Amino acid sequence: MKKVSMYALSTCPWCRKTKKFFADHKIPFTFIDYDLADEATQRRISQEMDAAGATGFPFVQIDDEVIVGYQPDRYSSALGI
Amino acid sequence: MNIESRKKALRYFFGQVVGPLGFKFTPDAELMDFLLEQEVMLEGKHGIPFCPCQPLRHDRARDMQIVCPCIPFHRKHFDAIKRCWCGLFVHKDVLDPDKLPQLSPKEVGLE
Repeated sequence: MKKVSMYALSTCPWCRKTKKFFADHKIPFTFIDYDLADEATQRRISQEMDAAGATGFPFVQIDDEVIVGYQPDRYSSALGI
Repeated sequence: MNIESRKKALRYFFGQVVGPLGFKFTPDAELMDFLLEQEVMLEGKHGIPFCPCQPLRHDRARDMQIVCPCIPFHRKHFDAIKRCWCGLFVHKDVLDPDKLPQLSPKEVGLE
């Protein structure tokens, strides 16, 4: 099974939709809410996002594939569902 | 602070700013209400209504670029996707915001 992780914001409705997408499809995933994380974690995530050219959340990683934004079709494609 | 009255005030202020930029509020009333409420909360916490969907970077110059409405700082990107990142605002010609994918600058060829 592919590894799914995401960075999110607790204030972001698209992050909530993304979490719901994985939950509805019974896809195990891990997440960190950036705004609720400590500063060191925020700086690490920020560097990862900059490296990927991402400016906003949700920031999803499915194995090695990075998907920025709420893009259910791309999640499905990456997961083969 | 009364959250509802502040949401109403932000809605009035934002409307004055985004209209001349070619944008309008999303027709999705539930989304608009949620986002405005998050901005009121962020304003209460930080003193500024930051975008609820972009990260604060601990860098004032970058953080000021996500003060709502942040359209002028991301004009090419938002014009390309016909919405702002959080979707509070859409191009004036947009009738169905659900059809607008949330594409990153890289995906629309801006990086």
